[in-house]
Amino acid sequence: MPADARSNQVGVSRQPANRLWTVLAAPGIGWLALFFLAPLYVVLAIVFGQRDPVFRTAVPVWNPLQWDPTQFTYVLTRIGPDGVYFPALVRTVVYVGAASILCLCIAFPVAYYVSRLAGRHKGLLIALLIAPFWISYMMRMLAWVNLLQNDGLINRILRFGGLFDVNVDWLTGQPAVVILGLAYGYVPYMILPLYAGLDRLSQSMLEASRDLGANRVSSFVRVTLPMCRPTIIAAVLLTCLPMLGDYFTNDLLSASPKTAMVGNLINDSVQAPGQTGQAGAFVMLVLIATVLPMVYYVRVTLRGDEVRT
Amino acid sequence: MPMPNGPGPNRREFLQRAAILAAAAPTLGAFLAACSKPGQTSSSPSLTIAKPDSPVKWPIAEDNKAIADGLAPEKGATLKIYNYADYLSPQAIKAFEDKHGIKVEVSTFNDGDEAITKLRSGVDFDIYNANYTEISRLVTGGLVRPLNHSYIPNISNVWPTFTDPWYDQGWQYTVPYTIYTTGIGWRTDQVPADIGKLPNAYASLWDPAYKDKTAIIDDFHTAMAMVLLKQGITDVNTSSEADLKMVGEQLSALVKATSPKVTITMYSDMPAGQIGLSQMWSGDIINAQSYLPEGVGPEILRYWFPEDGKGLVDNDMLVTLKGGKNPVLAHLFLNHMLDPAVAKENFLAIGYQPPQNSITPDSLVAEEFIPENLRSAIVKPEYFDAGYRTLELDADNDAAWHNVWNAFNAGGS
Amino acid sequence: MSVVTSSGSTLRGPIGWYRDPWRRPRVLAGITIAYLVWSLLPVLIAIMFSFNDGRSRTNWQGFSFRWYWGDQTRSVWHDASLHTALLQTLKLGLIATLIAVPLGVLFAIGIDRWRGRLPSGANVLMLISFVIPEVLLAVALLFVVTSLALPFGLGTSAQVVGLVTYQVAYPAVLVRARLATIGPQYEEAAMDLGASQLGALRRVTLPMLMPAIFASTVLVFADVIDDFVLVRYLSSGSATEPVSVKIYNTARAAPTPALNALATLLLLAAFAAVVIGYLVFRRMTRNDETTGRGIAAFAGET
Repeated sequence: MPADARSNQVGVSRQPANRLWTVLAAPGIGWLALFFLAPLYVVLAIVFGQRDPVFRTAVPVWNPLQWDPTQFTYVLTRIGPDGVYFPALVRTVVYVGAASILCLCIAFPVAYYVSRLAGRHKGLLIALLIAPFWISYMMRMLAWVNLLQNDGLINRILRFGGLFDVNVDWLTGQPAVVILGLAYGYVPYMILPLYAGLDRLSQSMLEASRDLGANRVSSFVRVTLPMCRPTIIAAVLLTCLPMLGDYFTNDLLSASPKTAMVGNLINDSVQAPGQTGQAGAFVMLVLIATVLPMVYYVRVTLRGDEVRT
Repeated sequence: MPMPNGPGPNRREFLQRAAILAAAAPTLGAFLAACSKPGQTSSSPSLTIAKPDSPVKWPIAEDNKAIADGLAPEKGATLKIYNYADYLSPQAIKAFEDKHGIKVEVSTFNDGDEAITKLRSGVDFDIYNANYTEISRLVTGGLVRPLNHSYIPNISNVWPTFTDPWYDQGWQYTVPYTIYTTGIGWRTDQVPADIGKLPNAYASLWDPAYKDKTAIIDDFHTAMAMVLLKQGITDVNTSSEADLKMVGEQLSALVKATSPKVTITMYSDMPAGQIGLSQMWSGDIINAQSYLPEGVGPEILRYWFPEDGKGLVDNDMLVTLKGGKNPVLAHLFLNHMLDPAVAKENFLAIGYQPPQNSITPDSLVAEEFIPENLRSAIVKPEYFDAGYRTLELDADNDAAWHNVWNAFNAGGS
Repeated sequence: MSVVTSSGSTLRGPIGWYRDPWRRPRVLAGITIAYLVWSLLPVLIAIMFSFNDGRSRTNWQGFSFRWYWGDQTRSVWHDASLHTALLQTLKLGLIATLIAVPLGVLFAIGIDRWRGRLPSGANVLMLISFVIPEVLLAVALLFVVTSLALPFGLGTSAQVVGLVTYQVAYPAVLVRARLATIGPQYEEAAMDLGASQLGALRRVTLPMLMPAIFASTVLVFADVIDDFVLVRYLSSGSATEPVSVKIYNTARAAPTPALNALATLLLLAAFAAVVIGYLVFRRMTRNDETTGRGIAAFAGET
């Protein structure tokens, strides 16, 4: 191995061993292509496919030239403003938006405090913040179902030991409960990236702005916020994109059609005979609707990667 | 002007790639078609729908004959049962496990649609809790195994009509499991009115006075049939477009008026106080007694079903599945559930009445299984003559019904 | 607490406290404490009720281990369906982690070094699989498994495939971030000293990546045992339903505190995994200056 030849190539990436990197990356790429990309084609084949005449289960049609758009147009015609599915779609956007804003309002102060101001207790606080990650999401929701039952703790506390006669039905179709449930479930996913981003902010910049005379609010708005804007955007996207597919929070906290989200539309129709194609159509629509935010997230992350190196 | 080494493809490259992709799609299609699962489409394009006035004797396919007589039960096996949740007594299961030294595994489903889809996707359950709204599809699709009657002598304990039911003449594929009616259940502490005395009891679910306290059954046919009955339409399997449209409108009105829960767990939600008034199966209100919290007695529960039996009457059945690996044990389990003592214990555990000869309404009240205030939940044989049944729907009608239900579930207008 | 204003006078009291730039951040601390209570208290209450003597999950009826092993038919120890769920969860966790982490690590190393369109496209694909709503992937894989004659059907294999696909982005992202922090200089130094590409990778880079690899292993494990949507759609029966699906199914029917007990046991298993992982992580990074050693670094935020 000509060591001197190699040592002349300072600062240039090691091209000759390109094959090594290809070999290393190949299993991962192959897996993603096989189990992530290809299934999307199967979804298309089912959405534009046929239905078994007896069981009305979905029959995929593989050749694009034989695709039948009936099921897709059925869904498409009903998501317009006077369509049957429109309220559910609007509700999804509203709930996810409200829950994300709520998450941000909770997560940002907490992340800010823990990353910059916690001092001695930082390690303990981070451990407590990470704890929800390994507590099953279902268990956290179950805990809330217990509390919100008619004879649960919340109602009992509100009754103040008999002073008031409170019997609020928390678990029957209350949008506020669903939004709070979503926020409760997803806020840990927002705290950690926010913490990481805020941790990296340089304290000297903030102090400089205070030294130059800006007051607290002005310093925050004009220095801190712009510096952590990419972090906030990435954290919000990381939280609200998975929230769009959530259906179990609604199922557990309110088994009512009044609060149905698009995830419920998908879940209800996937196993129902004759409606699997509709489920696939909803999957496609959600994918199309979220592809822009997802690409945006990717670009923000990649730019963040570059900045870090 | 895009740079040759810059980020992103320029237009020519993009078109090239799109062309490659478009050309690849049919090949990919052909490739996937070759990999496709066989048996995706069924051969027979139409269903024979069984009705009480046109009974059906199902054919037995050549490749689906019953098992031979006198076989020994499978040893060390795991019997797989596919059933609703909380619909089989754990004690009955344990007794069977101990008797044969095998294990029993119960998987659950939420509704019949989900169950059939799962069964079609190639699972190996042995026993399935079916309803006659599915029997035609199950037989036509080759999912069920015919029964060998020599393993099930306990059939003599059930009501004679079930040895030759209209939905399965000669009981070739099914044994009856439970009988039930679908009425309205309520708690007197949340709903002081006597729903049974109202001129149209079903309409109470639309009464805004009970907002956020109501529930309807999460089964498209049962719930929509109730809406039809409320409007006085007795053909609960109607294919009339006008009727279905009316049902859709009534369901939207229901959401606006009382915003009901859509669930099958009213047997635990009502005792817990979550709901006060609900469309209920008769077995649920009986079962609800065991879920009442301490200090609350069963006197507060009530049930209404039309006195003349002109309401929804049904029975569930157990079938053995062709995909199951333990046919002998499956037969023996069916026989086990038809034993009078086991059936009675099961009744106590799940609340649903078995059609056993030894269980009569009077004996139930006399032995205090059913309190006097729930007498209306007992199923009488006369109900089966006058009552309406939710039958299997043919494909187009099924689609139309499901569309209405889907729209309701989406909370749509 | 007093503040000296520009005019030289001292302010006391609340105004002074408010204007002091170095005051203790009581408001933020309060918010944080309130958040932690809101976040963890319901879970603690649920854990408490798993030790309830009666059937209720809302009324305390005395302390007992009834739902863990006492009750003959319904406790976690005796009810086969409950401990099957626990075993299935751990099984899925192990298998999926053992496949996803090496796949993701190799993928990250390869993509990081390989220049070109395909790898950057693959990188984008991987990041998208990180944020895609899980139900979309679950439905797509359900269609694949039920329509194509694959060597596996619904059940554990399908669940593992789905989980690996969903989780492979996690180690990939963590390892890439770590690679970016390390930089290429160590590897180049090794190659200057005569190591081959593969050798430098094996003996220099990989050991330096160990903390990130290890952290991602633990995090993927914790994520997989918590997964719900994918495993539910791809399950074949109650034998392949993990704890999360069991909780969901039973919570909508008639749950007993046995459910709380099951969830508590799972929590203990996950907690043990993470604690062990963190201790090993700290040991591994004993003398490593290029990485933080706190919990945050462990969680992947370098």
